[in-house]
Amino acid sequence: MFKLDHKSIVITAALVASTTLFTGCFGTSNIAESYNGSVDALDGGVTYPRENGIETAYAYNTQDVSGVNHGRVPTPNELKAWDADIMPDGTGLPEGSGSVELGDELYESQCASCHGEFGAGGKGYPTLAGGSLDSLTNQRTAPGMDAPKRTFGSYWPQASTMIWYIRDAMPYAHPKSLSNDELYALTAYLLNVNEISIDGVEVDDEYVLDREKFLKIKMPNREGFYPNIDGPNGVENVRAFFADRPKNIGAGTKCMEDCKDPNILDGNKEATVMRIGMEISNVVPAYSTVRDLPVEAGTSAKSETEKLYDANCALCHATDAMGAPAVGDHDTWATVVAQGMDKVNSNAINGFGGMPAKGGNMDLTDAQVIDIVKFMVDSSK
Amino acid sequence: MNNISENNLETNSRRDFFKKTAAYSVSAITAAAVLAPSKLLADDENITHHTKWGTTLGDELNKHPYGIPSKYEHNIVRRTSSLMSSAGDMHAAVSMCPLHELEGIITPNGLHFTRTHNGVAHVDPNKFRLMIHGLVKKPLVLTLDQLKRYPSETRTLFLECPANGAAEWKGPQFNSLQFVKGMMSNAEWTGVRLSVILDDLGLKPEAKWMLAEGSDGSEMSRTIPVEKVLDDAMIVWAQNGEALRPEQGYPVRLMLPGWEANLCIKYLKRLEFGENPWYCKEETSKYTVLTASGKAIQHFYPLEVNSIITSPCPEKPWTDVQKGDLVEIEGIAWSGHGTISNVDLSMDGGKNWFQANLKGLVLPKSWTRFSFMYRYEGKPLLLQSRAEDDSDNIQPTVNQEKAVIGVEGVYHRNSICTWEVNDMGEVNNVQVRS
Ligand code: HEC
Ligand code: HEC
Repeated sequence: MFKLDHKSIVITAALVASTTLFTGCFGTSNIAESYNGSVDALDGGVTYPRENGIETAYAYNTQDVSGVNHGRVPTPNELKAWDADIMPDGTGLPEGSGSVELGDELYESQCASCHGEFGAGGKGYPTLAGGSLDSLTNQRTAPGMDAPKRTFGSYWPQASTMIWYIRDAMPYAHPKSLSNDELYALTAYLLNVNEISIDGVEVDDEYVLDREKFLKIKMPNREGFYPNIDGPNGVENVRAFFADRPKNIGAGTKCMEDCKDPNILDGNKEATVMRIGMEISNVVPAYSTVRDLPVEAGTSAKSETEKLYDANCALCHATDAMGAPAVGDHDTWATVVAQGMDKVNSNAINGFGGMPAKGGNMDLTDAQVIDIVKFMVDSSK
Repeated sequence: MNNISENNLETNSRRDFFKKTAAYSVSAITAAAVLAPSKLLADDENITHHTKWGTTLGDELNKHPYGIPSKYEHNIVRRTSSLMSSAGDMHAAVSMCPLHELEGIITPNGLHFTRTHNGVAHVDPNKFRLMIHGLVKKPLVLTLDQLKRYPSETRTLFLECPANGAAEWKGPQFNSLQFVKGMMSNAEWTGVRLSVILDDLGLKPEAKWMLAEGSDGSEMSRTIPVEKVLDDAMIVWAQNGEALRPEQGYPVRLMLPGWEANLCIKYLKRLEFGENPWYCKEETSKYTVLTASGKAIQHFYPLEVNSIITSPCPEKPWTDVQKGDLVEIEGIAWSGHGTISNVDLSMDGGKNWFQANLKGLVLPKSWTRFSFMYRYEGKPLLLQSRAEDDSDNIQPTVNQEKAVIGVEGVYHRNSICTWEVNDMGEVNNVQVRS
C-alpha cells in the first residue's frame, strides 16, 4: 500500500519541482546545487568533493599535508590501561566471579537509592528491570495507555554492554570504583532480577557468575534491532537502510496546493489541530523575555528557612491576594507582630481563619515554622 | 505564490482602522480608544530628557577582562526542566538553547545547548592525552599541543541532540520554542580532519568501525563507521573562535558533521579502529528508535531535514503587530544529510504552501535562515515550515512520520511543527495530526 502511494507521491513531487523551475521561482536551490555534491554518503546524504582548493563554500589549504605527524607511539602499559572496552565477543571481558547474593548486597548499598528496589525504578532514575518483550509494541496513542518497558532484560541486545557500562560509569557519583568480582556479582544480580537464564540454568540466588558463564548469555531481545550491523555486511546494511529513507525513516511530499495529508491514519478522518493538554511549564529559570535589570542577588545564597518559605508559604504570602499578610508589607506585619510573637507563632502552627495549620504541610516541625515566621517578620520590617 | 496574494492585497492601514472604529463606535470606551492616536503624539521622555547613561561616566573599559552581556539581557539564558532529567538530577540532563532570542546562525558559546550524562567534566588540558590505536599500523598518543600542531580547518555546523522534540511524539507539551526545539545549536568549529591524522598511521583495510571514547565519569562511547571518519569527521578544539566550553567537551571533542550530537564524543580520550561494532550503552539502551513493530532502529546517525519558525513563536508573539503591518516570518532550517535547498511555508496548517526565501550563508549541515514578509491580517493562522535538502529529503508531516515510526521512537523526530497564531496575535504550540 504505502509503496504504491509513495510512487505516485514521487511523481507528483517531480512534477511540482519542474513547474517551480519553469515559473521562475528558482529560489535558492541553486546554492546547494553549486556545491557539486553527489548523493553517495553512507547515510544517504551528500558528500562534497574537495576540488581546486574549495569544498562547498569553504576554501582550504591544498598543500600536501601527508607526512604531518606529531606525537608518539603508546607504550604497552598505556595501551593496556586504556584499551579496556568490553565487546560482545568477550574482548576485554575481565577474569573474576561473583554471586547473585553478593550482588544483591552491593546493589542495596550502592545502587538501590537511585534505581529502586530490585531495579524496579520509581525514583526518577532509569529502571533496570521489569520490562517485557511484549511491551515493546505498546504505543501510547491515547492517554492512559501503557508505555513500552525498555530495560536490560527486555531491550538490551548484548550483555557485554551492561558489565562494561557499570564498570566505567556506575555508581554514579564515584564511577570506576568496583572490583571485577563485584562487577560479576552486580551483573549476576541484574540478570536475576531480569529473569534471564544462562544456558537453560536459572540465575537464582545461589548462582555464581564468571567469565565463562557470562559468554554464554543470550539476550532475549538480541534480534530486536535493524539494520543488521554485524559481520562483513554490517556497513552495507546501514547504507541500504538509509538508501530507502521514505520507507525506513519517513519522508515528506512536495505538494503546494490543496494538499491532503497522505498518511492520515484513519482513512476518512481529516487532520485536526491538537492543542497542549497539560502544559509542562516548570522550567528553570522561569520563562521571561523581559529586558530589565536583574534582581540583585543577595551576597549569600538562599537560607534553608527561605527555601522552606518558598516551598510552603510563598504561594499565599507573596501577595495579599488571598487575604494573607503579604511578606514585605511593613504596616500589616506591624499589626500582626503587635499581638505578641507567641500568639503569632501559635496561629501559624495551629492555623486560624484562612491560614491552614503549618501552611498545610504537617511535615514541618514547630521549630521550622517558628523560623519561617521569623524570616517573614524580618523580611517585612 | 498565488494562494497568498490575497494577503498582500490587504491594504488596511492603521488610519483606516481608526476611521472605521470611529464610524461604528457608540460607547465611551471605544471613543477613548479612538483618541489613542493623539496620545501617540505625546512627547517621549526617552527623547526629551537626558538619560542616566548619557550624564554619567561609564565603567572602566576592562572591568570585565572576559566580556559579559548587558545586564538587561539576563533572561536570555539556557533553561532546564526537571522532566528532562533523572529525578531532577542536573548531572544527567539537558539544557535548552534560547532559539527565540538568537540572530543569524551562530550560537554564542554561553548559550549552546548542553547534554551531559555524568555532569560537566573539567579536564586539565595539561593532562589531556588522545590515543589512536587498533587496526592502524602505527598507534599514536598526542598531547593537546601536539594535536593543535596539525593543520586546522573551520566549519560552521549544527549540533543537535537526536532527542530534540522528543517530548512531543504524543502531542504538544511545551508552549515555547526553547523547549520545542532548543536541544540544538550552531557554531563555527575549528580542528583537524581526522583523515589528516590517519594518513600517517596506516589504517588497515579490515578497519570498518571506530570506537570513540570520552574521559568523563560516564566514559561516553559510541561506534562510528570508518567511512564517515574518512569523509568529513574532525577532532575539534575551538568553538566560535575560542577554546571549547567545558559543557561542549573541553578541551577536545569529536565532530561528525550532520550526525547525532551524542556521537560527537566530548572530553575525547581514545579512538580505536576495529572490524566489529562495540555495542555501547548509548547505541543500545538509548539512542535507538523503537518503532511500532516492536523492533528498533540502531545506528541511526544523521539528523534529518528539519525546520522551525523562530518568529513568531510562543515567546515572541505578534500581540503588538497591527492589522495591515508588514511583518517578517523568520526561521531556521537544517539537514544532516546536506545543504538546505528550499523552505516552503503554510498558513493554513499544511493545505496550501508557498516558497520562503533563504537568507545569509547557505552551508551544508548548518543552520540556514529563511524569511518571508507577510501583511498581517489579524486572522488566526496555523503557521508551518517545510524544509528540503540537496539529497532530496522533504520534511514529513506529523502523520507521515508517525506512519513509519509510531509514537514511541523518542529520537529523530523531524516532523513539521505548527504554531497557531490566534486573533490576539498570541502564538501557541499545536500539532496538525490525526
Ligand atoms: C546517584 C544515583 C545513582 C546511583 C547511586 C547509581 N546510578 Fe546507575 N544511573 C544513574 C543515572 C542518572 C543514570 C543515567 C545516566 C545517563 O543519562 O546516561 C544511570 C544509568 C544506569 C544504567 C543504564 C540504564 C539504562 O537503561 O540505560 C545502569 C545499568 C546503571 N545505572 C547501573 C547502576 C548500578 C549497578 C549502580 C550501583 C553500583 C548504580 N547504577 C548506581 C544514577 C545512579
Ligand atoms: C493556603 C494559603 C496559606 C498558606 C499556604 C500559608 N498561609 Fe499563612 N496565612 C494565610 C492567611 C489567609 C492568613 C490570614 C489569616 C486571617 O487573618 O484570617 C495567614 C496568616 C499568617 C500569619 C499571621 C498570623 C497572625 O497571627 O496574624 C502567619 C505568621 C503565617 N500566616 C505564617 C505562615 C507560614 C509560616 C506559612 C508556611 C509554613 C504559611 N503561613 C502558609 C494563608 C496561608
